[in-house]
Amino acid sequence: MINIFSHFSSQLLVGLGWTVLSSVIALFFSLIIGTIFAIMEIVPNKVLRTIGRAYVEIFRNIPLLVITMFFYLVIPMYVVKINGFTAGTIGLSLYTSAFIAETVRSGIQSVAGGQMEGARSTGMTYWQAMRYIILPQAFKIVIPPLGNQFVNLVKNSSVLAFVAGFDLMYQANSIASTTFDTINSYLVVGVLYLIITLPLSYYMQHLEKKLA
Amino acid sequence: MKKRFWLVSLLASLLLLTGCGRSLSDQSVLDNVKRTNTISWGVKGDVKLFGLIDVKDGQPKGFDVDMAKAITRHILGPTGKAEFTTTTSQSRVPLLKNGNVDAVIATMSITPEREKVISFSKSYFDAGQSLLVPKNSSIHSVKDLNGKTVIGVVGANSVANIKKVAPKARVIELQDYAQAMNALKSHQGDALTTDNGILFGLAVQNPGYQVRGGTFTVEPYGVAVNKGQTGFTKAVDKAVLEMQHDGEYNRLIKKWFGNVPGFKYKELYRK
Amino acid sequence: MSMIEFHDVQKFYGHFHALHDINLKIDQGETVVLIGPSGSGKSTLVRTVNGLESIQKGQLIVNNHDLSDPKTDLNILRRDVGMVFQHFNLYKNKDVLENIMLAPRIVSHMPEKENKEQAMHLLEMVGLEKWAHNMPSQISGGQKQRVAIARTLAMRPKLILYDEPTSALDPEMIDDVLQVIKKVTTDSGMTSLIVTHEMGFAKEVANRVIFMDQGRIVEDDASESFFKRPKTERAQQFLSKIISH
Repeated sequence: MINIFSHFSSQLLVGLGWTVLSSVIALFFSLIIGTIFAIMEIVPNKVLRTIGRAYVEIFRNIPLLVITMFFYLVIPMYVVKINGFTAGTIGLSLYTSAFIAETVRSGIQSVAGGQMEGARSTGMTYWQAMRYIILPQAFKIVIPPLGNQFVNLVKNSSVLAFVAGFDLMYQANSIASTTFDTINSYLVVGVLYLIITLPLSYYMQHLEKKLA
Repeated sequence: MKKRFWLVSLLASLLLLTGCGRSLSDQSVLDNVKRTNTISWGVKGDVKLFGLIDVKDGQPKGFDVDMAKAITRHILGPTGKAEFTTTTSQSRVPLLKNGNVDAVIATMSITPEREKVISFSKSYFDAGQSLLVPKNSSIHSVKDLNGKTVIGVVGANSVANIKKVAPKARVIELQDYAQAMNALKSHQGDALTTDNGILFGLAVQNPGYQVRGGTFTVEPYGVAVNKGQTGFTKAVDKAVLEMQHDGEYNRLIKKWFGNVPGFKYKELYRK
Repeated sequence: MSMIEFHDVQKFYGHFHALHDINLKIDQGETVVLIGPSGSGKSTLVRTVNGLESIQKGQLIVNNHDLSDPKTDLNILRRDVGMVFQHFNLYKNKDVLENIMLAPRIVSHMPEKENKEQAMHLLEMVGLEKWAHNMPSQISGGQKQRVAIARTLAMRPKLILYDEPTSALDPEMIDDVLQVIKKVTTDSGMTSLIVTHEMGFAKEVANRVIFMDQGRIVEDDASESFFKRPKTERAQQFLSKIISH
């Protein structure tokens, strides 16, 4: 394991870099997109609600690999050329955003009810109530499940390997197939994933305690 | 505190795992297959002309598959059974080392790096690496590859070869030939590189693409077994030699490559 | 002048007929108490008045807004119609002072200084000025309800709806809250519609009592005569049960 790491350290660090970059970008966009669709899922407007529901059901129920392949192979053929890293990161953002939407929606719904009626009965609009009362409370509630989503996101970024996104998993495949030392190649990469996900888990736990 | 203990012991046990699992090479594969009257072969499932799963019956078909059947017959006699497991360039060595298959006949070039971990028979097919490009491509040979993106497949030595002949080419590795072909169609790369036999198969399936620039390496395909299984490799060599003498080898070459446009199959004939 | 007018109002939850043929007129300045057994539709009726529940048939006019018209802007209506809930519904993410100041700031755009003075004044009135910077989770149920009343008053409503304001409180807290409600209803000349099970309190504050049963208004009378001699047998039964408790 140490051997693999010292021989291929530059290749592995490049992989680590792409994995972290893809995860950070996807985390940012999936959080924004997920929140937008979570709100769309519960607004009084029926058309928006249907769109929100459809988005979540589609992206939550299609394998991440299929979404990613769509952006890697189909979009470049008909729309615009995007490379493997971009395709993978888009796939990861959309896929994760559907799960984040579900998480945030359930958070909003667990807060709404009395809090919403209290706010609305003072004359606040729906959006004012959302912004000042519901969402701040909902985010606090969904921090633990969001933490799980973020850890999943980092792990799911290994989908980049399938579209030549140069991430950790891609490097692991490449190293394993040149050295034939399959076990150690994947062990090294497993440890590198832990280096990203463990601090993330601990940070989310810390945040949860701090805000509780 | 408790949590940390678990983590450490988990990592420790993973490390221990890496030291285990080396007992398979002690048994003789030749004795085993004779006892069971069955040879379990690793073949390609996605490579036209060599090993491609036929959607009608789910069986792999191709030159490698027919060779495997013939070699089985030569080693075990007419009642011998050949079983097939499909592998990819990436999985064929691990499957062999783990004992999932007895031997691999899957468009696998004999290379010094591979010979460090597994053993090969003598060459049963002489391929060479080439390029597949769209018919309107400006790439005519490996010299045109610098600055271009070349698509290869994980686990194939063709990727390393490209880095030697065109150091300024960007190489991306995909999981298998089907994906590599799709990526080429989606303009994710300018050329697809691997052995000419495989590329001709892809060109047959995908009109609009052609094999260009001749071969720039020599890729002798061998049957792979675990290291030290010389009894089995010798039996394979003997079988292939017998097939060459009785003309069965040339019949198989003609069967699979006789109708491929642009492929000079007669150069592959062996006596 | 009337503040609330129900004309043949019907309310359904699916097939369940929650409000039957409601006809009711409440004038400005009246303090009306709604009583009746649980499930009789009192809460539902009160909640239709500020549009928290929609009506399916009939006409409902509150403070000159027609709630049966889908084009009516409920947000504007609600600025003048406050509501006090059984479970307080204080904003859990805001401290006591912010609970009171938020709506005047973002709905009525009241200047910050005036808003704060008003909020502190209201807190004094409900006896909680010391708790201004506590979070709702740090105060008792009775205190929460008094904050909720102050929050409602901060919008200077013309009508306040009370939906069982003491039902979720420990017995020793109830009196403080009732005192505050009494002060608010008698001081201000505001219109109040109160759902309650506190008969003593009802007797004390109400000009008028409405008795409901099974989604219908069964009796509608001046407070004094209702408590002396209910006209219907159903109301007599109800009162005798409550009082014998």
